[in-house]
Amino acid sequence: MIEYDEQNSRMVLKLVYYGPALSGKTTNLLCLHDRLVQDGRGELMVLDTTDDRTIFFDLLPFFLVAPSGLKIKVKVYTVPGQVKHDATRKAVLQRADGVAFIADSRLRETANNTNSFENLEKNLSYVGLDIDKIPLVIQFNKQDLKETITAQDIEQTWGPTGIPVLCASALQGWGVVETFRELVGHTYDHIDSRFSLAKKHGLAKETFVAQLTRQDLSDARTSP
Amino acid sequence: MPPQDSPENIRYIVGTERRLEDVLRAEDVAPLLREALRTGVHRVIVGDDAGKTLWTSGDGVPATMGEATENCPLRLEGEPVGTVKVFGNSEKRDLLKAVASLLSGTLNILAATNLKRMLTTELHTTVVSQSYEDLLIAHRELKASETRYRELAETLEKKVDERTAELKRAYNRLLQSEKMAAVGQLAAGVAHEINNPVGFVTSNLQTLRKYVSRFTEMLAVSREILNGQPPASETFNRKWRELKLDFVTGDVEELLRQSLEGTERVKRIVADLKGFSHIDESELSPLNINRELERTLKIMARAFPGESEIIKDFHPLPNLIGNGSLLCQAFMNIILNAVQAQPQTLQLTIETRYQDGQVRITFSDNGPGIPTEIRNRIFEPFFTTRDVGQGTGMGLAVTYDIVTSMGGTIDVTCPEAGGAVFSIALPLQEH
Repeated sequence: MIEYDEQNSRMVLKLVYYGPALSGKTTNLLCLHDRLVQDGRGELMVLDTTDDRTIFFDLLPFFLVAPSGLKIKVKVYTVPGQVKHDATRKAVLQRADGVAFIADSRLRETANNTNSFENLEKNLSYVGLDIDKIPLVIQFNKQDLKETITAQDIEQTWGPTGIPVLCASALQGWGVVETFRELVGHTYDHIDSRFSLAKKHGLAKETFVAQLTRQDLSDARTSP
Repeated sequence: MPPQDSPENIRYIVGTERRLEDVLRAEDVAPLLREALRTGVHRVIVGDDAGKTLWTSGDGVPATMGEATENCPLRLEGEPVGTVKVFGNSEKRDLLKAVASLLSGTLNILAATNLKRMLTTELHTTVVSQSYEDLLIAHRELKASETRYRELAETLEKKVDERTAELKRAYNRLLQSEKMAAVGQLAAGVAHEINNPVGFVTSNLQTLRKYVSRFTEMLAVSREILNGQPPASETFNRKWRELKLDFVTGDVEELLRQSLEGTERVKRIVADLKGFSHIDESELSPLNINRELERTLKIMARAFPGESEIIKDFHPLPNLIGNGSLLCQAFMNIILNAVQAQPQTLQLTIETRYQDGQVRITFSDNGPGIPTEIRNRIFEPFFTTRDVGQGTGMGLAVTYDIVTSMGGTIDVTCPEAGGAVFSIALPLQEH
């Protein structure tokens, strides 16, 4: 699914933040935009159109160049969570290279999480992707709130699947960069075998991940 | 309604890669570059990442003239995709730098805005057109199914009508055959009950006839002996006259003959009834209808009045499976019906023909025809137009039963030219 243009030495990766409505997908991207250094990434684009139907998604692009000169663009998208925007979700999910599923940790949202995950499975197969093969991480967001699912329950449910699960609070700004790091790490593993990023392009996993997750630790952060 | 879930159905991808010249238009860039010249710079060049000039202003000024600023980068989604370069007087280096940075900043914002607009439009269009196509597909499917249902409804009505008519026919047949069966059962019972008394009545009558002839003979002998021996003879003769024995001796023989004839007729009716009720026990064999008709006519030869004319219009026929004697009986009853309808100068045409998998036999006579009001009753058992005692009313009923038991049909029409036409159609069964 990866877009790879050998002649122009370009590669475009697409990462998608999926999940139920109001689980904090956009907040995750806003937080990434806030925390990561401006150099090497574009501005966060928040796209929303109100018309006879509301469609919107967010896009946070990253750009880096491998030692071989391979230009790598990483586009991070969010999908609209509302059930009715399934067509947009399919359009955004098309040719994805990695997925972060953002779940709402509150207990009362369990059903919504389940429905959205089933929707992800369905739409992945619709666009011809295999949920068992695509790099996937799960984030239980809103851990700062009360009445949330416990770490044991998460471990019990998701442990056997082997899918990496992280806890986060996008609002408070923790767990977000870690989720992203996990996602880009898995994505690297997934594509390295096919495109020999390390051997042919001299791009080690550590470098790749570090380039994409350089945090801006100064106080004078650019506001979104 | 989503289309079939397969990747082939996806015709849209969001976020295709774009170059700087895809995102920025000359109409957007040219005024900016033109205005930049008014600040006193000599020349502005906007190039792509490969160094190719995309847009420029101040063409009249030689590129060599004046000092150049450093390249100010233009970015798309974080990727350097082009540069802005400003040329001018080296003494105004700060101005050149400021103009370059202003231009690159403006173009970056312009590019980002345009890209966002394009992305939004792209997604909106793809989603809307996808939804539209889904709707079209759903519409087509609905239309197809509507057509299907309409066709179904139309043919259904026709089919219901056909089935209803068929059911009605079957019901009528059933009714008829139940009537026949009831009659058959009744007939069988009646025949059994009547046969015994009729048997001994006949036998007793014959004995009585013998006895009576003895009495008569004895009376004649007595009369002869007494004749000429008065006064006994006078007493004898007076009593003879008083008792009208001349008439009685003559009439008693006639009475007994008529009684025996009556019992004979009762026997015949009973036999008819028995035959009627035992149709199903018939033995089957291959029959040639033409031969069966010839046989029937031969048997009946003596029943035709002198002036009769029988016209045989026989065509070659395939063999049928059936009971020959029953079929002869069926034909005989129809022919007898014609004879009785025209006892003086009968003209009967019998035609046979094989057509549409059926053997068709028609009997056309020159009788008075059958009145419309009784035409549908003539096949009913015990229905007769003749006087009581003249017909059993069983003839045509028996014919009807024989023909229908072979899966055939019989009906009667009366052409305007006169006479009655009985048409029998017998299907060719598979054996």
